[in-house]
Amino acid sequence: MAGIPHDHYEPRTGFEKWLYRRLPIAGVIYDTIMIPTPKNLNWMWIWGIVLMFCLVLQIVTGIVLVMHYTPHVDMAFASVEHIMRNVNGGYMLRYLHANGASLFFVAVYLHIFRNLYYGSYKAPREVTWIIGMLIYLAMMATAFMGYVLPWGQMSFWGATVITGLFGAVPGVGGAIQQWLLGGPAVDNATLNRFFSLHYLLPFVILGLAIVHVWAFHTTGNNNPTGVEVRRTSKEDAQKDTLPFWPYFVLKDLFALGVVLVVFFAVVGFMPNYLGHPDNYIEANPLATPAHIVPEWYFLPFYAILRAFTADVWIVQIVQFLSFGIIDAKFFGVLAMFGAILVMALVPWLDTSRVRSGRYRPQFKWWFWLLAFDFMLLMWCGAMPAEEPYASISLIASAYWFAYFLVILPLLGVIEKPEPMPATIEEDYLAHYEAPTRMAE
Amino acid sequence: MILRTKTLSAALALAISAGGAALAQDAATPAPAPAQGTGTQQSSEPAATPAPAGQADATPAPATSPDATVEAGSGLSPTGERATAPTQSSEPTSPQNAGEQTPMEAPEVPAVTTAPDAGGNAAAEGDTGAAPAAEEAPAADAGAETAPAAAEAPAADPAADADADAGAEPAGDAVQLTEGDEAAVPAETTGTVVAPEGHDDIEGTPEDAASDAEPDNAEGGEEHAAAASHGAPHIEDIAYSFEGPFGKFDQFQLQRGLQVYTEVCSSCHGMKFVPIRTLHDDGGPGLPEDQVRAYAANLNPVLDPETGEERPRLPTDHFPTITGEGMGPDLSLMAKARAGFHGPYGTGISQLVNGIGGPEYIHAILTGYTGEEIEQAGTVLYQNTAFSSGNIAMPPPLSDDLVTYADGTPATVDQMARDVSAFLMWTAEPKLTHRKQVGLVSVLLLVALTSLLYLTNKRLWAPHKRKLHQKH
Repeated sequence: MAGIPHDHYEPRTGFEKWLYRRLPIAGVIYDTIMIPTPKNLNWMWIWGIVLMFCLVLQIVTGIVLVMHYTPHVDMAFASVEHIMRNVNGGYMLRYLHANGASLFFVAVYLHIFRNLYYGSYKAPREVTWIIGMLIYLAMMATAFMGYVLPWGQMSFWGATVITGLFGAVPGVGGAIQQWLLGGPAVDNATLNRFFSLHYLLPFVILGLAIVHVWAFHTTGNNNPTGVEVRRTSKEDAQKDTLPFWPYFVLKDLFALGVVLVVFFAVVGFMPNYLGHPDNYIEANPLATPAHIVPEWYFLPFYAILRAFTADVWIVQIVQFLSFGIIDAKFFGVLAMFGAILVMALVPWLDTSRVRSGRYRPQFKWWFWLLAFDFMLLMWCGAMPAEEPYASISLIASAYWFAYFLVILPLLGVIEKPEPMPATIEEDYLAHYEAPTRMAE
Repeated sequence: MILRTKTLSAALALAISAGGAALAQDAATPAPAPAQGTGTQQSSEPAATPAPAGQADATPAPATSPDATVEAGSGLSPTGERATAPTQSSEPTSPQNAGEQTPMEAPEVPAVTTAPDAGGNAAAEGDTGAAPAAEEAPAADAGAETAPAAAEAPAADPAADADADAGAEPAGDAVQLTEGDEAAVPAETTGTVVAPEGHDDIEGTPEDAASDAEPDNAEGGEEHAAAASHGAPHIEDIAYSFEGPFGKFDQFQLQRGLQVYTEVCSSCHGMKFVPIRTLHDDGGPGLPEDQVRAYAANLNPVLDPETGEERPRLPTDHFPTITGEGMGPDLSLMAKARAGFHGPYGTGISQLVNGIGGPEYIHAILTGYTGEEIEQAGTVLYQNTAFSSGNIAMPPPLSDDLVTYADGTPATVDQMARDVSAFLMWTAEPKLTHRKQVGLVSVLLLVALTSLLYLTNKRLWAPHKRKLHQKH
């Protein structure tokens, strides 16, 4: 494997040599877990392991849940109750799975924002970033379809609203929506295909996650200084790094333990806190809930979707210029997907040559404003579509786009970065004594 | 090497803590097994006197002693003989009737018996005494109520016992109304019919009664105080026993709630997702199996999908599904399908602190009627302060003393609303108690594991993490 110079796997025993000539799998595993890792990684570098844990947790609990679940409009809700009441430990399986989705998104948002702060998306890690964005999109699709499966009121009406977004596409929207739903409205066909895809996509995510890891193992981890590990020689690299095993494995496991304490407290003591009471009412196509609210992790983008109403001047201008093809509804849809698109394009929008936000005095402020903006959007998404939330949503949405499309390109030109350490070792020695001996 | 030692010690400590936690979980298992050990349970929960089994399916009770179990069985054996307390017609056939016909006459005659007191003395003896007791009750109370088989009750309301001691001779089949004492004794002892069996263990003294009653009152006071301090405008926060990390359902409250559901709510609300057999489960109402069977048999018959014919309901069936004109929504999941608390300002902090508030919402609806009625499009709506639109289609279902709690708990509207909302929380989340135990064990284990990982990690990194002493 290309990358930072380090010791590679050497088959020793006869069997190892025999296997190595036929399938060098032991070498791949060795190189993966012994990868030299910048020794100055801070606690924001633990979310990757939490995400891996989430993926495995969701797949394992999901597979067992499927053994007891019935994807049919007449039986889905009852089968979930069957899981909750009759299946041994079924209530824990379901609550772990439902809250596991929330943990997944908590971790992924922290992971993404860590990337944005430390500039991990910048060259040469653009591909890692893009794959990560694909994983994020697949996660959102999976979570959305999974939420439909219990066939509660929010499942049904959430599915109706979200698939309705595709109906906003001019011309072919109606056809796309019908194709997605398998009929004119959300019904059994919809439930069945969502179930099928909800089972499929996690394995797509697993595949993407492996490529994601492969990609950053090729480039090496970013680190809080944003300074690359020296690759001039193995000795130089060793001054900047420590092997992933055991140093970062144990660190990550400890962090995972802390996260899981909180997670299991939520699952054990307040498993429905992050859900919506309406989803304990069986789906009823004839009764619309008073407020249709998506799960919390979709709220920021839901707020952006709703922010661009027909009375916003930019919507009116676009509608006029496009001869009415892009109306307010379609504009909102474009804005929602655009919000993720601009984030995915950030490696090419950020013009600064300094990677880490630690050495970018102005950037820091804009970044933290973006983090606040994200929370604000999340809050707006949970509120009814009325004043003052509509105006706040609009301003917050505007900042989201401004950050990626205006601020980041300009900052790279006008900002004067602070002095950076030349090497990771230099940064490390500013805080810690030089190690006198290596651990065994 | 160090690492290996650490890993081994971590694994060892984890195994030990796992064993300890497993033991702790066993010890913590709630819901006393119906036939035993309730003596201690009762002593610790004076507030909750178990409902006696006297009233056939309406108030099934945990049999606390072997005798009581037998008697409960015998009480039920004339199947469906619904000696529904307040009903005058001797054998109503459907549960719905009970609620409708309930007379409002004053002192209810719940069958509170001697049964095991706090000391655990099984008192329920004198099987023969029970039946006459039941027969005499109506006579004593102008026929308003039957107190069937009062002696079966495992009820261990010490206050009631004390009352009996003072006001009634514990002789033979004597059934006595202790109305004269009611005003003086603590609320929960009002209107007790005592059917002592000439047994000598009615030993509750007034002191006992007082000391046992006190915590109850104190608790009640606390609840109200809590409600006043951080309740939402319409929804009063209630300190249910099942809240908090260590919360568990109050078995006797669930039984009272079941009685309210059966006698009142079930005429218009089904519970199609709740298997009847779960009434027997640990952590739930914990009815003895024979009572569950009798309860099931008294519900509407069910259409057997295999034979295509109607047959009596079995414990393996679910509660009835009730739909139709004027009928209410299914209540199986109602306590999780409503939120009592919101905000403030969409932050969710209120729910974080108080819980989501489903049971509180149900309680608020049941107690929120103002008495005003309005007519809209030919439908009469009833003003209700807890309902979102202010007017609800459901007529006020509860009134004071609508049901007669066999354990002597005064059936105020507030009390019934609390009991039935707690019961509906159980129907919505029957595994709540287990879940909290799993949560607790998981958290403790993870804390232990994480502590060890912390130490391991610290040790591992120590050579690389020695802080510089000079300021840089």
